[in-house]
Amino acid sequence: MSDFDIKNIAKLASINLSAEEQKKLTKDLSIILEHVQALSSLELDTNIEDVFIHPLEKELKLVEDIEIDSLTHKDALSNAPESKDGKFVVPPSME
Amino acid sequence: MDLKPTIGIETHIELNTNTKMFCRCKVVDTDEPNISLCPTCIGLPGALPVPNGKAIEYITLLSLATGCTITRKGMFHRKNYFYPDLPKNYQISQFDLPVGESGKLEIILDGKKDSVEIERVHMEEDTGKSTHSGTGRIDSATSTALDFNRSGVPLVEIVTKPVIESAKEAVAYIEELRQLSIDLNISEGKLEKGNLRFDANISVAPDDSNELGTKVEIKNMNSLRSLERAIDYEISRQTKAYLDGEEIIQETRHWDEAKELTSSMRSKEGSADYRYFSDPDLPNMILSEIFIEDIKNKLPKLPSEIRNDLMETGLDLDQANILGKSDNWIRDLYFDVFDSTKEHSTTYNWITGELQGQMRKLDINFPPEWFSADLLSEILGLIKDNKISFTSGKTILSEVLQKNISIDEVATNNDLYQENNEEKIVELVKNVINDSEDVVQRIKEGEDKLVGFLVGQVIKNSGGSVNPGIAKELLSKELDL
Amino acid sequence: MELKNLSIRQLNNLFVEKKAKPSELYSDIFDTSASSESLLHAHLALFEEKNIEIAKNSDKRFENGESTGLLDGIPIAIKDNINIKGELTTCSSKMLSNYRSPYNATVIEKLDNENVLYTGKTNLDEFAMGSSTENSAFGLTKNPWNTDYVPGGSSGGSAASVSARSSIGALGSDTGGSIRQPAAFCGLVGFKPTYGTVSRYGLIAFASSLDQIGPITKNVDDARIIYNAISGHDALDATSIDNNQINIPFDKSAKIGVIKELMEDGISDESRNEVSKVLESLKNQGYQIKEVSLPLIKLSISIYYLIAPAECSANLARFDGVRYGLRVEGKTSYEMMQNTRAEGFGDEVKRRILLGTYALSAGYYDEYYGKALRARKKMIDEFSNIFNDVDYLISPTTPTAAFKAGEKTSNPLEMYMSDLCTIPANLAGLPAISIPTGLSKENLPLGVQLMSKPLTDLSLLNFSEVIEKEVDFDTFPKGLEK
Ligand SMILES: [Mg+2]
Ligand SMILES: [Zn+2]
Repeated sequence: MSDFDIKNIAKLASINLSAEEQKKLTKDLSIILEHVQALSSLELDTNIEDVFIHPLEKELKLVEDIEIDSLTHKDALSNAPESKDGKFVVPPSME
Repeated sequence: MDLKPTIGIETHIELNTNTKMFCRCKVVDTDEPNISLCPTCIGLPGALPVPNGKAIEYITLLSLATGCTITRKGMFHRKNYFYPDLPKNYQISQFDLPVGESGKLEIILDGKKDSVEIERVHMEEDTGKSTHSGTGRIDSATSTALDFNRSGVPLVEIVTKPVIESAKEAVAYIEELRQLSIDLNISEGKLEKGNLRFDANISVAPDDSNELGTKVEIKNMNSLRSLERAIDYEISRQTKAYLDGEEIIQETRHWDEAKELTSSMRSKEGSADYRYFSDPDLPNMILSEIFIEDIKNKLPKLPSEIRNDLMETGLDLDQANILGKSDNWIRDLYFDVFDSTKEHSTTYNWITGELQGQMRKLDINFPPEWFSADLLSEILGLIKDNKISFTSGKTILSEVLQKNISIDEVATNNDLYQENNEEKIVELVKNVINDSEDVVQRIKEGEDKLVGFLVGQVIKNSGGSVNPGIAKELLSKELDL
Repeated sequence: MELKNLSIRQLNNLFVEKKAKPSELYSDIFDTSASSESLLHAHLALFEEKNIEIAKNSDKRFENGESTGLLDGIPIAIKDNINIKGELTTCSSKMLSNYRSPYNATVIEKLDNENVLYTGKTNLDEFAMGSSTENSAFGLTKNPWNTDYVPGGSSGGSAASVSARSSIGALGSDTGGSIRQPAAFCGLVGFKPTYGTVSRYGLIAFASSLDQIGPITKNVDDARIIYNAISGHDALDATSIDNNQINIPFDKSAKIGVIKELMEDGISDESRNEVSKVLESLKNQGYQIKEVSLPLIKLSISIYYLIAPAECSANLARFDGVRYGLRVEGKTSYEMMQNTRAEGFGDEVKRRILLGTYALSAGYYDEYYGKALRARKKMIDEFSNIFNDVDYLISPTTPTAAFKAGEKTSNPLEMYMSDLCTIPANLAGLPAISIPTGLSKENLPLGVQLMSKPLTDLSLLNFSEVIEKEVDFDTFPKGLEK
């Protein structure tokens, strides 16, 4: 836990944290991470390859390549904070 | 000291499925923005992905065609990074269990067969498209506009091992991969439309070194020309840096098409820690033996096999490669015409030269529907049998490309059938000899070249209907040459 | 006659026999919410106006003998993380305070077919992260049994609404106990179905491999009726399974296992006593009971708090101010996204996103997330072994009865511990139910939890009814005026 870098984690998660929040969250997360350390003592014979993502080990079902109508253009943009000429608009994404 | 470059290529192939990878929105090719969307492909809260079976069929085809081992218990992962054109801010992709692994693709390089080893073939979804606006320069954009029609379109990513040694080899590899995706009918294969997009990882190291140098990734090459130039540029940049003792930085560089150079891209916000993990919305994908067997049976002839077939007709490797990478109808036409003419060279030359040349002049991409292999075979047969001249053959081809008319009609109307009756030709020859005493005299004195002049006279007098070969033969005979 | 206190089957009988009308039921419910909402704040939104029309349409169907079944005209409350087309779906987050869904969740499509009437959207812990409904950006919900106490969470609004009779039943979602724990705290039945039997399409995801929608009701039969209506395979959810139910005995031949690890330290005497009370009565009826051990249960909180945050860190990445929801401006897209997420998410949500981001980050994956996945698999194996021996597992639903508002907000880990008994069923995908059985000395409800193997949901409900009948718990909140 000594190398817990809250700034890097916040950057990966794309959340702007104030200095105060950084301090508070570092403390909270340290407590939780210490608790989950309980797992490190666990002897595990299970290979990761044997793990299924679905808890009931269901297999993925593939679907037919047939079009289904869905959102209208208007509905798709109905919640857009900003849009222009039928496109969503955001501040520049290239620096 | 000699340096050797090492190149690995990552290619994204846009599949030509009807619907997107994880939703059933139609894949559209339009400038009208945001018209083929649903909760899933714009990442609305609560929406879930459901995988397109056709896309999985296609990627299995490609994996088998490149000799990859198929992963039986595969998995979709989430690749996490924030970018406005990525609706969920993670891309559904594959990580340690891709559909295909460890394959090989035959390529043709410098007139020889070669091959490029494939590391992996995996499935993923495309992002939306960003348009940066402002003063027209990217670095001073005032806003970015987003169109999500492309969001969720199925992409196959095919990654080579770092085994490519030159820009030319890279180009040959992409050409082959493009042809393969067309022959498998899994992609339109149109580079200009971005159906195939590629990035190159390039490093240089001393010739005798067993280790690779620091790799640099080049992005934004959207044609074979830019791929070749970018790689060449980057190899010489790195070579110079190496020889000057400068450190080569591991980075992503951008190919600037206008300036013809690569430049360092400032890294996107956030580092490249993608935090891959299994997508809990998509259970493990089990590809059964039956499924794989089924796909194997659907494999069409591969470009390498078609190339071999072409070589069996007598063509050399380069000819076979050129024809192999032509449109389907051209290849079919070749095989059909060859079947009746049994002349590989003539057939090849007429199709790749005369036919395609005339079509270019007429500005057509496909021959008209009345045009057939039989038609071309007939023209070549008439030439071979001396019934028409080579030049007349061209005339006839041009006519039948422009209108639905029989060869016989064109030949008769234009009086193109050749005179093959010897007696008549001998008469013509004698007349010419009589009318050209001076010339005959000079020939006898050794001016051999002038025989051609007399042949020309014979043909002229016949109105063009005499076969030049026969005319020459008879002239020589009459003049005792 | 107070219609709002009746069961769904009783109400339907009255409607069919034309002794009462759905519109009368709705006005009963509506009057209740008019007075209870200001006290409890169970609903974030009430759909008053259109409901009068909808209830009248039900009236007509019953008049003409054309009713569409048991749920026709029954007022159901919907947790506000389930999308209803055209309505706000906020997840109790500032991030989505203005978000109006352009599509219906599959469960809503299914309830629409039954002609259910929606009372409105209920309060929850922001993005279903919490155990007290105190983490709502729009104010907390109170426990109808005693308003100083929390109703539990995250489906606290749904539980409070059913308890206060401002709805007949409610949908909640359960990722680590979010249906069962508030049901227990409010003296109700809370049922988390087998993972994959109810579609998650349109449920705003918290942790996809754990989330499951289910009912909160006054009795087991109501839960069964709602479950039957909302379950079934859905082509829009790749994790959805065919609901091929397996029958296991629920009569005296059924074997009951008491989970040793959930009767030890960390569990209050009161909670333990409720289990003992039920076991005593089952024993008297002739059921076979034995103690069983599931050692990995002790690690379930650790496993859960790696898997759930890891999944949520990606699930909640889509809230970025680009296409919908809150936007806080910035010079670049990246600044805008960072500012939006800083402002839009509450403390607990940030905590879990960051925890999950860390557990997945380079160098830590194997140690945290990878290890948790393997431990989870081992725990699933432990459960399937146990189910070779017993049919049902019994335990307390919660370590204690409801706690006071503000009591656990300062210590996240302590709050997490209140899900100790409920988390294992989510990790293993099992059906699990909480049945109210008695009251604490503070007059707050307590429940017991039953679990069974996957796809035995209906047997589990049948067996629960045996216990329900025996304990005969009065679900009407003491302290709330009748
Ligand atoms: Mg990729
Ligand atoms: Zn879509």
